[in-house]
Amino acid sequence: MRKITNNSDYPGFLLSCEEDLLLDSGKSINQFQIAYQTYGLLNSNKDNAILICHALTGDQFPAEESPITKKKGWWDLMVGPNKPIDTNKYFVICSNVLGGCVGTTGPNDINPKTSKIYGLDFPTITIRDMVKVQKILIDELGIEKLRSVIGGSMGAMQVLQWSATYPDFVKSIVCIAGSLKHSAQNIAFDEAGRQSIMLDPNWHQGRYLEINQKPENGLSVARMIAHITYLSEKAFQNKFGRNLQEKKNLSFGFGIDFQVESYLRHQGRSFVDRFDANSYLYMTRAMDYFDVSEEITNNQKKIIDNEIRFLVLSFTSDWLFPTKESREIVSLLNSIGSNVSFAEVVSDRGHDSFLLDEPQFFRVCEGFLKGIK
Amino acid sequence: MRNDYKIILDLIPQNSKVLDIGCSDGELISLLAEKNISAQGVELNQEKVISCLGKGLDVIHGDINLIVEDFPYNQFDYCILTQTIQAVQKPDVLLNTLKKVSKNIIVGFNNSARLSKIIKFFLSGSYDSLLKKSNSDQWYNTDYIHPCSIKDFKKLSLDLNFKVVSTYDVINAVQFNNGKIPSNLFCKEVLFHLTNE
Repeated sequence: MRKITNNSDYPGFLLSCEEDLLLDSGKSINQFQIAYQTYGLLNSNKDNAILICHALTGDQFPAEESPITKKKGWWDLMVGPNKPIDTNKYFVICSNVLGGCVGTTGPNDINPKTSKIYGLDFPTITIRDMVKVQKILIDELGIEKLRSVIGGSMGAMQVLQWSATYPDFVKSIVCIAGSLKHSAQNIAFDEAGRQSIMLDPNWHQGRYLEINQKPENGLSVARMIAHITYLSEKAFQNKFGRNLQEKKNLSFGFGIDFQVESYLRHQGRSFVDRFDANSYLYMTRAMDYFDVSEEITNNQKKIIDNEIRFLVLSFTSDWLFPTKESREIVSLLNSIGSNVSFAEVVSDRGHDSFLLDEPQFFRVCEGFLKGIK
Repeated sequence: MRNDYKIILDLIPQNSKVLDIGCSDGELISLLAEKNISAQGVELNQEKVISCLGKGLDVIHGDINLIVEDFPYNQFDYCILTQTIQAVQKPDVLLNTLKKVSKNIIVGFNNSARLSKIIKFFLSGSYDSLLKKSNSDQWYNTDYIHPCSIKDFKKLSLDLNFKVVSTYDVINAVQFNNGKIPSNLFCKEVLFHLTNE
């Protein structure tokens, strides 16, 4: 049985499903819920719906004020009335991913079998599992074809997965700063982050919530490591240089001397307030396991028959998901004969460029969506 | 409509797959689409890329010299380079790679050795007269780094083991077959249809 209600914890809605969800690992979850938010109105033909897939630390609130941070949503520059993803025209859906910590079932929820918090009893999930859950939501909303599925970073993985697994249900795909598979370097960074969490004595083998603790230091260091990969050498240099933090002289100690240290620590600390450490483990693992090339090739016929249009985007200074990897996506999509466009946006702000004010990037996306009939 | 586009539209059969290198704002791709020919563009200028996307056209942003290796082999029936070959870093290398990507290649360019140009060159004593595409182009800043004649290009085609299917005097819309080419002295704009078979 499936039921949609208002979400009592956050703005937006909750789709509760009383059914088994079989996962790629072979394990299943008995009941699950999907927290989502929508913007704009679904037209009577139900053909103006756009699904936005969020990145690792995103949530279902891309637009307007975020109830989590009380600041503008993570993609407020992109999504809203008269913005590139124009909510006057499109019905925008965004759901928290499976394994997340903002309302969709994840490791910090109660396991119905044991009535205890899942912790590490939560099964390992994949990007395909995340997309499977999104597909259930789209079915429940009665949408037979999404105008577009759009996402950056981990969101880009989800959109490619959509094209591979559900090619009959999408008209177009916008894949931003993504890759066909997680690189060795990216897996390495993920592992450093996970080790940082799991070596925190407050992690307690993932059972920290039961004893009302949090591996704050571990999660915060994980975030600091990751945050470095989201920027670029030039972005750090432009923003901080070697400027000292509220002092004129070096301290000859290990406190905060440089502004960049203060910034990173702040990034780490503020992240702990809004994100769950176990979710971080599960979601980075899902990214590590991602490799969609074969499934895209296998579903070549359906991708072609449905005339799915792809837009692949990268940023010049992104070294986490460099242009080379986007070109590999384009190359694969070309080799199966699909309709693919590609643009590389000049920006020196690294991987995070897709979340920042990059007018060229917005215009490319807006132009592409305009061309989808 | 541009004369060379007219010839290209007549030349390419329906349902072909086409790669248009240096597609600008996608005019030719749109025209091909009307004929039920699916074409993908390659364009270096981002504004033009955006313009193509807005029209619902498929376009790859980038420098063909750097990205040609990304295209899978035998993916296209026709590859078009109009007013582009003289601006390519290494035309021979590019054509050799495109040979693997596309069965047919159509190359259109302005004949740099036509009499009017030679006279201008002779009288002015300036190389600019040979290179010039727009008035701001000078020998040191022009994109047109490989001016060539019709004879030059035919020789390159044969050296690269292409078969010259036909050539066209674009302005006068005259077709030449059996290895014949338009007048090297008088033809302003030429189109080569090459095949690797």
